[in-house]
Amino acid sequence: MCKSSAQDVDHPPSIACLGVIGRNNNPLHISIFNSYDPSTNLFRPVRTPLQFSLLLSSTLDIFELRSRAHAAQGTGLTGDFGLLHAVDEKLAAYGFETNTGVKFVVVVDMRGRRASTAAAGVGEDGKKSSAVGTTGVGLREGEMRVVFKAMQAAYIRLMQNPFYDPDEHSPLTGPGKKITSRRFGEEMRKIGEGWVPGVTSL
Amino acid sequence: MDEYPAGSLDHSVPFLLTLGTSGDPTYQSGLSAVLKEQAILIRSELPPLDSDQAHALLRYIQNRDASDLPCNGRDAPKKHRFHVKTAERSILLPPRRARLPDGIDMPSPTAVLHSPYSPLSPISPLYPDGLIGTQWIRKHQDLVPSVLLCFYTLTSDPTLATLNDNKIKTDVNNIRALLSQSGYKTRLAVVLLSDKTSASGDHVQDRLESLRRGCGIDAKSLFLVPPGDSKEELERMAENMLTTLYTASLDYYRDLGRHSRKKRGRGVAPQPTVPPTSGTSQTLSLAGWNVRYDFKSAVFAEYRQEMDVALRSYEQAYENLLSSELMEVIPSWSPRWNEARFLADVLAVRCLRCLLWNGQHSAAARRWQSHRERIADFLDRRGRGTGNYGWEAWESRWALLMANLMEKASIPELAPVTHKLYLQPEKNVMGERLQPWEFLHHTGYWYRLSAKHMQARRDFAHAIPEDDRRSPSMSPASFVAKSAFAYDTYMCPDPFEEYPLHRGGFDHGRFVVERLMKARSEFLKREQVRLAAEVSLECARELGLTEEWSGIVKLLRPLWKDLPFRSEGWTTIAELLSWNLRAAAVELDDAELVVTIDWELLNQTFQKRPNWEYDITKALDQIDTESKPIVSLADGQILPFIWTSFLFREEEGKAGQNVRSQLTIKSNAHQGSTPVSLTSLYLNFSGSLDRVVIEHDDAAAVQEKRGNTSISAVPLTRDDAEAEVTDLGATNKSVILQGAADLTLAPGQTLVFNLEIPLREPGETEAQSLVVNLDTEEFDLHHELKFHQTPKTNFWYLSGSATKRIARPNPLAIKVQPRPPKLEIKCPVWKDQYYTDEAIVLEFELTNGEDIEALAKLDATLFGENPPAFTVDIAGHESQTSSSSRSEESKLIGAPLGTIESSKTSSVQLRLPPVDRSSQYDLTLKVTYFLPTNPGTPITQTTAFQLNIVNPFEANYDLLPRVHPDPWPSLFDADGVRSAAPDDDVPLAFKGLSQSWCLLTRYASFASEPLRVVDIDVVLSSLPSVRCHAIKHNNLPSSGEGRLVAPKTIEEAAFELKAQKASLDERGPSPLDVSLVIKWSRPEVSDQLNSTTLPVPRFNLFGTEPRVLATVSHMFTPHPLVVLTVYIENASNHLLTFGLTMEPSDEFAFSGPKQTSLSLLPVQRRGVEYRLVPFDDLGGGGEVGGCWYYQKVLRVVPGGEGLGDEGGGGGLDSRTGRWRGDGKGSKGLERVMV
Repeated sequence: MCKSSAQDVDHPPSIACLGVIGRNNNPLHISIFNSYDPSTNLFRPVRTPLQFSLLLSSTLDIFELRSRAHAAQGTGLTGDFGLLHAVDEKLAAYGFETNTGVKFVVVVDMRGRRASTAAAGVGEDGKKSSAVGTTGVGLREGEMRVVFKAMQAAYIRLMQNPFYDPDEHSPLTGPGKKITSRRFGEEMRKIGEGWVPGVTSL
Repeated sequence: MDEYPAGSLDHSVPFLLTLGTSGDPTYQSGLSAVLKEQAILIRSELPPLDSDQAHALLRYIQNRDASDLPCNGRDAPKKHRFHVKTAERSILLPPRRARLPDGIDMPSPTAVLHSPYSPLSPISPLYPDGLIGTQWIRKHQDLVPSVLLCFYTLTSDPTLATLNDNKIKTDVNNIRALLSQSGYKTRLAVVLLSDKTSASGDHVQDRLESLRRGCGIDAKSLFLVPPGDSKEELERMAENMLTTLYTASLDYYRDLGRHSRKKRGRGVAPQPTVPPTSGTSQTLSLAGWNVRYDFKSAVFAEYRQEMDVALRSYEQAYENLLSSELMEVIPSWSPRWNEARFLADVLAVRCLRCLLWNGQHSAAARRWQSHRERIADFLDRRGRGTGNYGWEAWESRWALLMANLMEKASIPELAPVTHKLYLQPEKNVMGERLQPWEFLHHTGYWYRLSAKHMQARRDFAHAIPEDDRRSPSMSPASFVAKSAFAYDTYMCPDPFEEYPLHRGGFDHGRFVVERLMKARSEFLKREQVRLAAEVSLECARELGLTEEWSGIVKLLRPLWKDLPFRSEGWTTIAELLSWNLRAAAVELDDAELVVTIDWELLNQTFQKRPNWEYDITKALDQIDTESKPIVSLADGQILPFIWTSFLFREEEGKAGQNVRSQLTIKSNAHQGSTPVSLTSLYLNFSGSLDRVVIEHDDAAAVQEKRGNTSISAVPLTRDDAEAEVTDLGATNKSVILQGAADLTLAPGQTLVFNLEIPLREPGETEAQSLVVNLDTEEFDLHHELKFHQTPKTNFWYLSGSATKRIARPNPLAIKVQPRPPKLEIKCPVWKDQYYTDEAIVLEFELTNGEDIEALAKLDATLFGENPPAFTVDIAGHESQTSSSSRSEESKLIGAPLGTIESSKTSSVQLRLPPVDRSSQYDLTLKVTYFLPTNPGTPITQTTAFQLNIVNPFEANYDLLPRVHPDPWPSLFDADGVRSAAPDDDVPLAFKGLSQSWCLLTRYASFASEPLRVVDIDVVLSSLPSVRCHAIKHNNLPSSGEGRLVAPKTIEEAAFELKAQKASLDERGPSPLDVSLVIKWSRPEVSDQLNSTTLPVPRFNLFGTEPRVLATVSHMFTPHPLVVLTVYIENASNHLLTFGLTMEPSDEFAFSGPKQTSLSLLPVQRRGVEYRLVPFDDLGGGGEVGGCWYYQKVLRVVPGGEGLGDEGGGGGLDSRTGRWRGDGKGSKGLERVMV
């Protein structure tokens, strides 16, 4: 059975969605990526755009909670919020907040990559999960940092564009425009597709 | 956990059974009917205790029941944990050895009978090859106590004591005998409750000892409750008792555990009492037995709360169970297959509980997942796969189980107050690659997962083909046979029950909603409002399927209203909420909600729904309304599809004027939606501006239309009468400006209204909001839109295609300056200069330029150096005179002007008295007036004038000596000299020296215009001892009408002065003060004569110094002849001699002494006469030698007309024959003192 064999193989994680959320909690950019679906052997987004919107929006609660906790404890200076929450066994959201309140959210599909393509990415890591019951490749703490770094770099490049007005995108009141830069979208796509666990630069 | 058989998953807690008192839940043996027959009855013969004390003790023990305590080992180890049951007098224990069922004979007398729960006993459901069942778990949990605690009364009555004690002994021995007969190792304990009166200590001790021995129980199992003790004492005693019993109880379970291990250690599979004859005749394999023994040891370890031991045993059992020897070989059609699955679940749950107990949260999450994976894998390989409703049912149950376990374990780190969503992994797995899900998330996530699988289960169920959904009684047998193997029905109904064809089957929705609501409440507890909203949406979808509309509205309406999805730009989410809510609202006939949602969904920010008719007027087509709903929307409540902006053209305006402004509304409605015909627009301002109301009028003219933009000018009319009617933006302004325009707004269209808004009161005014009103037959909608200041809105439509940016910081606001005064102050005949010594009359005209009459007052201020007091004359009012409070100010305040009619003029006359110095004043006139339309607001007009007052004339003066014609009095003439004695009646007779002078004045007009000089005069003032008078000689016409003197021309006037001293004795110098008085008038006002007095420097007359004066007289016939007379005056008291020389000259001939000396007596004047004849016409002037006096040359002063004023000599003008007063070259007359 194709299905049972698929079940046996570890499907390493992939990025399912990248979200950039503005200072006023307004969505600036959402990139959705295909995940491998072993049951159909197809690549397609694991959720609908609306569901991803809901998912990204739900991370805002956690940003708020954590920010409050950080403020109280004086921690969280790096802006890396790490794991925000796992929605289920498959999808987990990681977050990062810049000094200006722009939030980057990475939604990882823990089994989004087809095993064969993943072998190259994980090979050097050398640690295939062997423990009983663990499925797929897990993530180390801070493994998402490289993604956030790449996203931030892309965002900074966007900000350097003189025609990009951040105030237009996050005005003091109400939601602003979304990011329309094709280059930024392209960069997000590169990040989302290029990431595999253990990769050190994007 | 409900779906699992009762007790199968429960935490194992030592079982304590009390006997001898009636407790609240009456004793239920819990044995099945079959076993009840064979059950062992243990019965106490003594009556049950009914004392309060006994009840209190029992209640306390029951309250300490630990079955429901949190399953965690974190809290300080409890002294005891008991599951407590009570029985009154008798209990039933399951038979230790099950009888063979009827019809089966003992195969051999040596055959061993086994426990009814063992697969060895034919009556057991496990017979012959089952593993272990729930019954076994329940046997230890509910049926066979670890400790049997018997209650007895210790009678204090000495007469009955022994009897009772013996009864107790008998009873206990009886019970113990029964127990040991049963084969159970249940510990027996006795508690004695003393009755009322207390016995002496020793006696009681003896009795207890005797009882203990008599009953054959050890000291630790015998307890005495002293009588009448306080509650605390009782509780303390009970606590001690339970702790002691707990040790005994743990012993009991340890023995049992040891027994299981011993059996496992034997390593042989026991044979059943009767070899199986039915089925496969297969008996339980050794591996199966090992699982069974491991499970038992684990459970006993759990009883002892040795969770590590338990976990190891459970894991071992689990691994063995799933090994190739056991589950792999069970055929999936066999009932044992599901039993094995069930056992695997139970083992996994118990493992999870052990992990949670030990605080290994990540390990628990991982264990949870691994069980799921293994079962899925197992089903995929050996079973019916995971793509069916049965699997999803299990998945849902499995997630729910985890949530329940976590709840039971009550992990404090995940309590809502911590606001933690998940736990950090334990230290030992910290560095590993972890799945995010292995961070143990709080139960909300698990409930949600469970709900999700429940939904998946339903999806699978709905995909069951109809044939399978038919009841088997109605289906052909072949179908039944087929479907029996096609569906995984582990712990879930058959397909014809799951989703029957013609009736309701399993209610998935109910479970989904229930779990989602649980999840939602967990999320809400941790302030995950957005995630809770997402869950609510899922919930609403579920409720929608079951048409529980009010539930949806209740759930979604707060989210729709309060959550910031809209304001934060998550439009897709807001849209989803709206559509869901609308669907429910339509069903509930909530017209208000439907209208609001439809109104918002017109916004094309939202996705257009295909095949949806976007027409707001038809919103309520499917809805029955009792009354016409009125929907009022505040700003920010929804995302409006109407975008509006407002601009004032100017930054400032003045009250009373109109200001140009532009109102723009733009529709962002979906393309293709029906144009909205607004009923009216209310434009509200802060400050003093009136509300502007624009009503819809189809016929209103559009000024310009280009593309989607149409511009129209809306003339506004005032409507004072209209009272406030709407509730939105209610102000108490009663004045409304009304206009009409076409308010039909098609999608994408922009309507621009040019408004001329009259400004009323000064101050800052800002456009605040626009209320859009849509009144249809079915509903009224009022939507308030606030104006927001963004750079994008600052565009002024010049035409349909051209806009102009208004580069002002806030074009929504206008500064209204006070109303400009329209009353003018004018002075028609204002002159640049006014003159001193002139009474100045200033005429002012006040012209009322207002539309209506004005009640006015005048303030006048004259400011300068010592301003004169002035008088103001106002027609019809009394004159008023100014007062001066300070030296530099003279003012008049509040002179009433009365009412000035519109466009009428009132005149004011301001009179100043003549000013004697040239000066400058500032004259300020301030008119304050009120209009009857606005009596509270004073309007002020101020005009300032500069008043220049100058001297019209200036003059210089020469005082020339003349020879007085009268002879000097002689000292020798006594009469002529001596003055009469002073007498009052007779005026003083002047008999002193006389002198004659000529005062020559040259005056010039410094006026800016010709002035009419009417008269010139001098005013003399001298000492009383001198008499003096003047005779004027000027060129003014004698008629008295004067002469116009042009500015800047010099005019001359001469005065002949005659002065005489009163007495000859007095000849010293005497001053004379003269002032020149010019009488003049302005040529246009001849009747007003002003006189300007010019002070002349002081002159000195007389003196004792001698002086020489010369006079000439001409004679022209027959020859030109000049007679020069030189007078020498000696006013001193000395005799003086003067030398006099006449220089000969080429120009004239003379007769007279050429050189002579003259002696003058004191007070004498003598004259020497020369006759001069000029030689020719060309000759220059002659010269008159000089006059000496004390070696000093005296100047010869001209003493009359025709002499040069240089003195010291003179000459004759040969051409004219006149004497020329040119002293140059002439020689002075010399006088030598003798």
